[in-house]
Amino acid sequence: MPRSEALDRGMRLTAFAADIRAEWRSGNRARLAGVVIVLLVVFAAATFVSSIMTGAADASLSNVVRWLLGTSEADQVLSVRDRIIILDIRLPRAVLGMLVGASLAVSGVVMQGLFRNPLADPGLVGVSSGASLGAVLLIVLGSAVFGPLFALFGFYALPIAAFVGGLVTTLLLYRIATRGGQTSVATLLLAGIALGALTGAFTGVLIFMADDKQLRDVTFWGLGSLAGANWTKIGAAAPIILLSLAVTPFLARGLNAITLGEAAAFHMGIPVQRMKNIAIVSVAAATGASVAVSGGIGFVGIVVPHLLRLVIGPDHRYLIPASALLGGTLLILADMIARTIASPAELPIGIVTAFIGAPFFLWILLRGRTTMGL
Amino acid sequence: MITVSNLSVRLGGRQVIHGISLEAAPGALTAIVGPNGCGKTTTLKAISGELAPESGSVSINGRNLKGLKPWELALKRGVLPQSTVISFPFTVREVVRLGLTAGANADTKANDRIAADALESVDLGGFAGRFYQELSGGEQQRVQLARVLCQISNPVADGEPRYLLLDEPVSSLDIRHQLTIMQLARRFCEQGGGVIAVMHDLNLTAMFADRMIMMKSGVIRASGAPGDVLTDETMEAVFGCRMQVSAMPAAGVPFVLPQTATL
Repeated sequence: MPRSEALDRGMRLTAFAADIRAEWRSGNRARLAGVVIVLLVVFAAATFVSSIMTGAADASLSNVVRWLLGTSEADQVLSVRDRIIILDIRLPRAVLGMLVGASLAVSGVVMQGLFRNPLADPGLVGVSSGASLGAVLLIVLGSAVFGPLFALFGFYALPIAAFVGGLVTTLLLYRIATRGGQTSVATLLLAGIALGALTGAFTGVLIFMADDKQLRDVTFWGLGSLAGANWTKIGAAAPIILLSLAVTPFLARGLNAITLGEAAAFHMGIPVQRMKNIAIVSVAAATGASVAVSGGIGFVGIVVPHLLRLVIGPDHRYLIPASALLGGTLLILADMIARTIASPAELPIGIVTAFIGAPFFLWILLRGRTTMGL
Repeated sequence: MITVSNLSVRLGGRQVIHGISLEAAPGALTAIVGPNGCGKTTTLKAISGELAPESGSVSINGRNLKGLKPWELALKRGVLPQSTVISFPFTVREVVRLGLTAGANADTKANDRIAADALESVDLGGFAGRFYQELSGGEQQRVQLARVLCQISNPVADGEPRYLLLDEPVSSLDIRHQLTIMQLARRFCEQGGGVIAVMHDLNLTAMFADRMIMMKSGVIRASGAPGDVLTDETMEAVFGCRMQVSAMPAAGVPFVLPQTATL
């Protein structure tokens, strides 16, 4: 009986795969995308758990679970040390990695959709530099100038400063690169370089002005790392990131329509201007919050959406959730590499993502020059 | 009925449309012709709501465009632009189904039927799985038309006629597909819808259009049945080339031969 059951299941699976292949041939990738999203959920969960279990020190996960469930021998199974390692170091780090990775990848998707180009990425076109400037401005001029801001927003001040920096840069970029609803890719990339350089210069001036303590803060923060993850940071960034991520699925239809151009999107009934405003604010918020808690982590926003488009296609209804999942998972993986490759020392994660992402980006350019509008 | 009254449009500081008025009735194929840069496309853009008029008004089935939301407009008219570049790897099926964005219904059998019919009607059955970016210019144009037909699948809805606004729908098509598409537009009119098309080919226009509007420098120089508009005098006044307009003996459809022209 078990054997025929297994056979039966195998046949059903084969039939299912054949169905999906047939759909794919007729240009329908909806069910394929669904399957990919389910697989990504599994992959994300597995990565999340294994990142909590691995690290420089040993700590048994099953003991943690038993302690969390509060069984009778609770206090004996888990030492204070293990509890701290797992619950206060690794868990927040994995959570932050998931949040930041999802936010970077989804920001990439939305920005690419908005600019109608697969090369637009907040890191690449200067939005992250703008967000950095906002954050550094706050760290250096800090209490002297922004005292009331600190008083008002507490630990939200840094993400908010980064958000404002990102928003201003995105708006400038949009104004410069888009004329009459058409975005020039060349202008977009060049304007991004110029804005990046300009905000970089401002940041440089601020660093020049900074005292030793501020310099340490800026440097540590700017390395691009999840190393400082703790529950306070998560408390500051998570609401902003989750809120802006929650908005993006509602932009999916509009982003799909806008791939045919802003005029065509309007013809199809999309309130284009309102959609663009929402998209720009959510990209700036998500990027700002991510930059504020983890510094500059590059290439997630360009590699993840591109990989997924190859498999499930560019339909934003599926691309957005899939990117969030894969972005978070890949960032946790990159962080695992960063903290184990030179263990017990740690590499900044920005270095790992650049080592993986930059060659991949060059490969995209080689492959798709004609289809990118370059 | 689409009614344009006293429409003026300014583009980049320059006035390009000077107070034109026209009407496009349901059941009729209205063609706008004229030399390059005479304001044909701008007029169509103002009718679609994409460009706001400087003065004058456009109304569709008696309602001024100003008072209509994008989604309301999208249920009344579909627009085919001159050419559409897409920088993401969409399949033909996915592009065509974007036309279903206006209606809020999700993936259903009915939508699949509409999309398949639309592709079939532009002679692209079997192209659903191809990538849009890999098609020729003419094929891409027909995919876009299928997308518009998905949006406006019935010529009449809720007792109101619906409209197709087509900007040079046959400009990059071979002769066979030019005829296919023009016949499709005709059929849409016969079923109670209305079509406004910006056209280049005068002979094709004369064959299929019920009304012809000839523009020059942002004003309407002649309008009416093709036989009345297409004359030796208007050809010289509007296009600046002296040529002989002839007529097919049987149907009386006028035609022009470039061979007869002197510049």
